[in-house]
Amino acid sequence: MINTSLSLTNFRNHHQTDTVWGEHVNIITGPNGAGKTNLLDAIHYLCMGRSFSSNSDQYVVRLGERSFLVKGMFQGTIRSSFEVACSYQRGEGKRLMVNESPLERHAELIGLVPVVLVSPEDKKLTGEGPAERRSFIDALISQTSPVYLNDLIRYRKIIRQRNRLLTDLHHYPHQLDDMLEPWDRQLTETGSRIVMKRNIVIRQFQSWLEKAHEQLTGTELKPTMTYKSIGENDTSEERIRESYTFQLRASSVKERERQQTITGPHRDDLIFFLNDMELRKFGSQGQHRIFALALKIAQLYYYRDVLEDLPVFLLDDVFGDLDPHKTEIVMNMLLKHPGQSFITAAHPDKISGLTGGDSDRVSNYRVSGGKLEQVR
Amino acid sequence: MQLISETLEQAVEQLARLPGMGRKSAQRIAMYLLKQNDDQVFRLSKAISDLKKNILYCSVCYNITDSDPCPICRSEKRNTGIVCIVEEPRDVYVVERTNEFTGRYHVLGGVISPLQNIGPNEIRINELIQRIRDGEEIRELILALNPDAEGEATGYYINKLVHVMGVNVTRIAHGIPMGTELEFIDDATLTRAFAGRQRF
Ligand SMILES: [Zn+2]
Repeated sequence: MINTSLSLTNFRNHHQTDTVWGEHVNIITGPNGAGKTNLLDAIHYLCMGRSFSSNSDQYVVRLGERSFLVKGMFQGTIRSSFEVACSYQRGEGKRLMVNESPLERHAELIGLVPVVLVSPEDKKLTGEGPAERRSFIDALISQTSPVYLNDLIRYRKIIRQRNRLLTDLHHYPHQLDDMLEPWDRQLTETGSRIVMKRNIVIRQFQSWLEKAHEQLTGTELKPTMTYKSIGENDTSEERIRESYTFQLRASSVKERERQQTITGPHRDDLIFFLNDMELRKFGSQGQHRIFALALKIAQLYYYRDVLEDLPVFLLDDVFGDLDPHKTEIVMNMLLKHPGQSFITAAHPDKISGLTGGDSDRVSNYRVSGGKLEQVR
Repeated sequence: MQLISETLEQAVEQLARLPGMGRKSAQRIAMYLLKQNDDQVFRLSKAISDLKKNILYCSVCYNITDSDPCPICRSEKRNTGIVCIVEEPRDVYVVERTNEFTGRYHVLGGVISPLQNIGPNEIRINELIQRIRDGEEIRELILALNPDAEGEATGYYINKLVHVMGVNVTRIAHGIPMGTELEFIDDATLTRAFAGRQRF
């Protein structure tokens, strides 16, 4: 999928920016705070319907304004050419549109333009709690499977309803089991579908992770990702559901004490290893950084494998963290990548020498003070 | 826009509370009403106040009606053995439009949703059980609830209660609406429809 043109109105520090992009590598340079990341964030809005750098749409509106608008044209292999737009107005909320017709549900957008994002936040993936890793795997699968995304939304709803019953359990001391039952059935039904899908995808993902890590480091250490869940490593929905039902029953006393649902895929985790070493406990800072980057590059490879259209690849300030050798490896990877990519960098000199031979595949842009210009 | 008239402001405020109405649309409607003749505006305001005054709930099925029991529950052409369970009165009209269903209805007036403090006792499930006990000779309940988590939970709950009373429970199928172009169906619905495909 190619983002051929992009238009921002009152989006962060961009008052009005209109641009066309190159089909392959787009390099955006400029000083810190110039608005480089904001361009990537705008593309991210058109792919995922939200910002990757802010939790709330209202902070994305340019200072002193009431609304923002992002529009982009995309070119794919199945859908030849289409426009995606996202508008937000204070007090009215957000609207997503494809070819000017509004989408009823946010979820309908996901997967239309698949995206892979590399950002400095990725260090949370290997370093912080399981929630970060769950959102990685959920974003990974959701963009390829609308059914999975639907199940996920439904599962979260069931959890909220069920937790409410557990919080209010003193209202119906003798009835709680009867009240929980209709939710339990749906919880295990939807939850086991989620676990099964995660199982399958994580298994397929492994070879791509190995490939990406090897490209970044040479061959010395083998990365693996193991899935911790109910019914892990099981690919029968029936058996996963049985084991989920069993564990849900077993935790019934505990969950009444804590007044929340404590078993299920919303508690899953992924454990990363380099050979036999658990990364989170024993990995060096450098190993963490490369592992996180390998996960994202593996996501790109995985999509190349399973999707008809290539994803849009966004790399926000990756080179700031990498040594010159790794920078060169990543740059070469991008030059060979058949799809479109966008890279921001504060220091153009760090990468300028690396793209010389492929100038027809590289488009250069410069941002300063919320204004973008193409550099020839 | 700052409104200069207190009366107009009141009208806009009330209109803006209606579902799907923003402040801007409320202002547009208020200005439109101002331009209509007195008679027209009076008929509208009477229709609105009659709505609450004259409309009853059927004491059998809890559909909205002008006379109790409602015409459907009074009709002798209706099959009393089959009852279609719906969430709201509007769903009765949706099913009636098909002219296919010949049984009667039971309007729950909501679905179970702990987050909104709606439990089984807040909707008309006890009334349904009473209908079955009162010897209406109900053999089958057809659940025509929304396929969302709350609709499903309500269905499960009812099924469990009436199963022991010897009543069959079925549910309407969910899939691709007839006459809908494939490209307008969301991917998840389409995928589920594929999973439930049938021999041609
Ligand atoms: Zn009636």
